[in-house]
Amino acid sequence: MSSLLHSIRWRIQVWHGIILLVAIGAFCVTAYHFAWDHQMRRLDRELRDVERLLIRTLMEYGRKPGEAPVPPDQLTQSLRAHEITLPPAVAAQFTGVNYYTLRDADGTPLLQSTNLPADITQLPVPKDGVTEEFRSIGNRRESLRANARGFSSVFGRDISREISDMHNLGWLLAASGLGVWVFGLLGGWWLAGRAIKPIDNISRTASRIAEGNLAERIDTSGNDSELDQLAHLLNQTFERLNNSFERQRRFSADASHELRTPVAVLIAETQRVLKRERTTDEYKDTLLTCQNNAERMRHLIEALLTLSRQEAAGNQTEHQPCDLADILRDTLVQVQPLATERAIRIETDLQPAPIHGDAAALSVLTANLVRNALQHQPAGAPDALMRVTTRREGDRVIVSVTDHGPGIAAEDLPHIFERFYRADKARTGGTGHTGLGLAIAQTIAQNHGGTITVTSTPGNGANFTVNLPAST
Amino acid sequence: MRILVIEDDPDLQRTLAATLREENYAVDTASDGVEGLRKALPATYDAIVLDVMLPRLDGWGVLEALRPTVATPVLMLTARDTVPDRIKGLNLGADDYLTKPFDIDELLARLRALIRRTTGQTSSIITIGNIAIDTAARRVTANDNETSLTPREYTLLEYLALHRGELVTRATLYEHLYDEDDDSLSNLLDVHVSNLRKKLGHELITTRRGHGYSIE
Repeated sequence: MSSLLHSIRWRIQVWHGIILLVAIGAFCVTAYHFAWDHQMRRLDRELRDVERLLIRTLMEYGRKPGEAPVPPDQLTQSLRAHEITLPPAVAAQFTGVNYYTLRDADGTPLLQSTNLPADITQLPVPKDGVTEEFRSIGNRRESLRANARGFSSVFGRDISREISDMHNLGWLLAASGLGVWVFGLLGGWWLAGRAIKPIDNISRTASRIAEGNLAERIDTSGNDSELDQLAHLLNQTFERLNNSFERQRRFSADASHELRTPVAVLIAETQRVLKRERTTDEYKDTLLTCQNNAERMRHLIEALLTLSRQEAAGNQTEHQPCDLADILRDTLVQVQPLATERAIRIETDLQPAPIHGDAAALSVLTANLVRNALQHQPAGAPDALMRVTTRREGDRVIVSVTDHGPGIAAEDLPHIFERFYRADKARTGGTGHTGLGLAIAQTIAQNHGGTITVTSTPGNGANFTVNLPAST
Repeated sequence: MRILVIEDDPDLQRTLAATLREENYAVDTASDGVEGLRKALPATYDAIVLDVMLPRLDGWGVLEALRPTVATPVLMLTARDTVPDRIKGLNLGADDYLTKPFDIDELLARLRALIRRTTGQTSSIITIGNIAIDTAARRVTANDNETSLTPREYTLLEYLALHRGELVTRATLYEHLYDEDDDSLSNLLDVHVSNLRKKLGHELITTRRGHGYSIE
């Protein structure tokens, strides 16, 4: 029940009901008021008409042809002087609902209809001029008049029929107002339902998504209403969530896969060797294998940590001014042992490349690129050569690492920045080759608002170009 | 028993091969799917240990190419441990599934079970008259007395016992008991057969001249 009262549909309905009731009520009251007013004005006009008829009749009374009618100011004298019998047509006007009385200053009736109610009051005689007034007394409507000469008149009418008509009208208005209200409530319920339906739809889909069906999307086939925009927005959010979950899922699956193999080697090798007594050389071999695989895991864990730190860093890294040429000089010193070991000569052209960035992260980027190039260069070739350059081009700085190794196959090119993607597929099993180096490099470049692009002709080496915004 | 190990990680491949050889299996290795498939297709192995993530052709591809013709039991060995992955492997015709990292004792037990099942044995102990061969413990008892056999003698006896009633040719024995690099003199079958007869009784192994051997 409480959930019912809290539902938006119910609340809309309650408010809608109240507002509709007030509006219909106000309309009915106003309409009734106008109708009543109109009725009164009509009655007043009719009263005036019969009044005029009577006065004219009195003024014409006993007039010979050619004589002027009795002027209004002498009407009182004329009434006082003569006994007047009204013509039947005029008298008939005052037998039904209409009545009248004409009185002298002291209240003596000069002329009045037979159906005059007992409780008639006249207006007090004014000092000068004429006073006139319409008033309703009970179920009567009266037009009262008095002038300074002492003449006063009351023309009235029994309006109980009109009042009862008005009551009927009132009931009719109330009934039809109620009908309209009920109809409005039903329409409102339907409308609220229609308005709520997309929300209902959204919430149901959202709850299904929350249950784990991340691929589901809200239907946005409607028009471009506010709710559709909301649904679009939610869908975009779900899409981003899904992508990041998917990335996370694949990443942890890959990471666990990469960790499982060295662990499997450690467990299987130690279990095998511990099954019986071995010679010292056998133990030594096993320990070397274990060390090798432990190193593999260490490199992988370090790479995973670097990657997750870089991803968490985003744009909030502490950036300071530094120069990529300096960073590359340090990197080349670090990798020199590897280059010497593989007999690869590194040619450099390091021009100033100022950048606002995280120097530590950028040195990881350059080290990964240079190591990657060194590892893919066939070792020991007499002409083995690598070229590393930095330069500034307008508002960008460019780092270029070119090797003359076997290159990258066209089908591998789009994937080489993916985590754990290995173009050569054959696992070296050796150290430092985790399948994460290029993914880390790309993440760092993206954190600095830059890109890494790769071009390669199989058999003719590969070129990695880092393009970053220069510092101003 | 001869087993093919298809595994691309050199350390794991070496460890697996060493483990299996110490259990007196004849072991061959392959480092990628294509090489593995080439070796597996002649169907000379008693079981195949197959990794899923392999260069050139993955484990599922190997299984798919193998299954229409080759019924050799396959134990999938992989780092993928999701249920859909396991179902996929089994549906493609794998006989068992083991995820890395694994216990070598479990791997060996599963391999023994696979080989036993394909030869129609239900128990790990094979009894022939008064001789009992415990394939799990690799022990042979005659009249409840343990008989000590050399590894070569044991594998020969086990193979013949597992294929009891069948005529096993010398070529088959060479194929299944010795790996491809084995050219030592110790593979002289006749010597092992006569040693077995000396230890376990003359009538145990029947020789069919020009054909091979059998245990009735």
